[in-house]
Amino acid sequence: MFEPLFMRLALAASIATGASLGIIGVYLIIRRMVFFGLVLANVATVGAAIAQALGWAPEGPSLAAAIGAALVLGGTGASTWVSPESVMGWAYAAASSATVLILALAPGGSTDTYHLLFGNVLTVDTFHVGVLSLIAAATLLCQILFGRRFLLVTFDAQAASVAGVNARGWSLLLYLLTGVAVATAVDHIGVLSTFALLTLPSTAALLQTRSMRVTFVIAAGLGVAMSSLALVVSYKLDLPAGPTTVALLSLAVPVAGMRKWMAAIAWR
Amino acid sequence: MTGNWIFRTENLTIGYGRHALFRGLSLVVGKGEILGIVGPNGSGKTTLVRTLLGLLAPIEGRAARAPGFRISYAPQRERLDTIAPLTAIDVVLMERSARAGALHRIRADDREAARQVLALLGVEALANRLFRSLSGGEQQRVRLARALAADPDVLVLDEPTAGMDIEGEATTLEFLRELSRKRSATILIVTHALPIVLNLATSIVLVGDRGILHGPVGEVLQEGRLSELYRVPVHVGQLAGHRTLVAGRGERHDV
Repeated sequence: MFEPLFMRLALAASIATGASLGIIGVYLIIRRMVFFGLVLANVATVGAAIAQALGWAPEGPSLAAAIGAALVLGGTGASTWVSPESVMGWAYAAASSATVLILALAPGGSTDTYHLLFGNVLTVDTFHVGVLSLIAAATLLCQILFGRRFLLVTFDAQAASVAGVNARGWSLLLYLLTGVAVATAVDHIGVLSTFALLTLPSTAALLQTRSMRVTFVIAAGLGVAMSSLALVVSYKLDLPAGPTTVALLSLAVPVAGMRKWMAAIAWR
Repeated sequence: MTGNWIFRTENLTIGYGRHALFRGLSLVVGKGEILGIVGPNGSGKTTLVRTLLGLLAPIEGRAARAPGFRISYAPQRERLDTIAPLTAIDVVLMERSARAGALHRIRADDREAARQVLALLGVEALANRLFRSLSGGEQQRVRLARALAADPDVLVLDEPTAGMDIEGEATTLEFLRELSRKRSATILIVTHALPIVLNLATSIVLVGDRGILHGPVGEVLQEGRLSELYRVPVHVGQLAGHRTLVAGRGERHDV
């Protein structure tokens, strides 16, 4: 099954995106910023849609859009007038409509809309697998080196600031990493798979564990396992890979919830 | 170090945006002082503390923090998220991790120090329990242990006894008194309940509808001044060697 080069490349891309988005997703969940991941993915598609309409390569514009949005929206704190959730809601609505309208004005729009939503991991080439692997390695390295700092500013940014930690700087680094990982993933696996990989493995992991370290390992592992399994299932059953990934990841959460519920019953 | 003060404000107005919560506060918090910041919910106590700590800019006036002192801040418990599966000792270790470099790895001596400070507060047995599974009072003690883990010169505690039972509250206040006596630590306690700091604080900032009272406890706790601030008759007395307050017309209520 993995004999053709395109399948091996797709598997490598799935492993890289599953690992990086699985790790980053844990921070988004414990920061209660799930919507932030969806907004970034959608803003990245605006960049990609503009690039497609102009006949450019999508990577640069989607990366620039996602990084810009990550830094601006990530720094949006509580305000007397409007909540961060409302700002995210506005950004999501604006980005989604912009993508559809831009593609509607461009030739071949409907096909491109489907591609942007679900991507096509089977078309990824060697160069982009290299880029995705590099980002996965950078995410893993940042997690190993700075995971404690990220957790510190996530758990209690004010106390961290008083202790002399540059809480804003560390948060921005985390958002930057998120923006880069999301933008590159969106170009190949689409908005929905990116969002699913950001939120569902980490949610399932947090339902299972009593340790942050194990949470990160399980989230990355689930991301890798489910997106790789989705490739196999989609190949065997002749299904599109993107929706299959999302469907399998969606199953992981209730299964994890059920396990937790059964463990709680047994403990009683 | 710059003399004997830790925090200093001049004609300070605090609030959010252009909305001032109170105006014109000038105070000096000295080394070794226990300052109680007392007022009803929404009066600006936490905003004052955040301004003193440099987390918020003042609307007007000046707030300064003396350099060279190690300050630990334990915010209100609602501010701490409990989704993350962190144990009590993980929470305490965060303070030590924050004081070390970004690449610092937790070592055996960090763990030992964290266990010692948990033991000091009588919650060593909770070290490996998930923080989110602890009761409100237990979480407060772990939060206090975290603030103490870096051996601070200055402790800033926001509602440190919220959620505690009477025994927990008494033990914690006695612990803070001893801490101040033995280590000359400066302690700022934010609370909505005046009785919490009545017999602990050396000075008080009292925020009310009609303004702010600030000064040594003996000066602030005068019946006339308190009655005017709270707009009800307030009686100050002694019971079993402790200061007590009774407020109200006819009926008796604690302030």
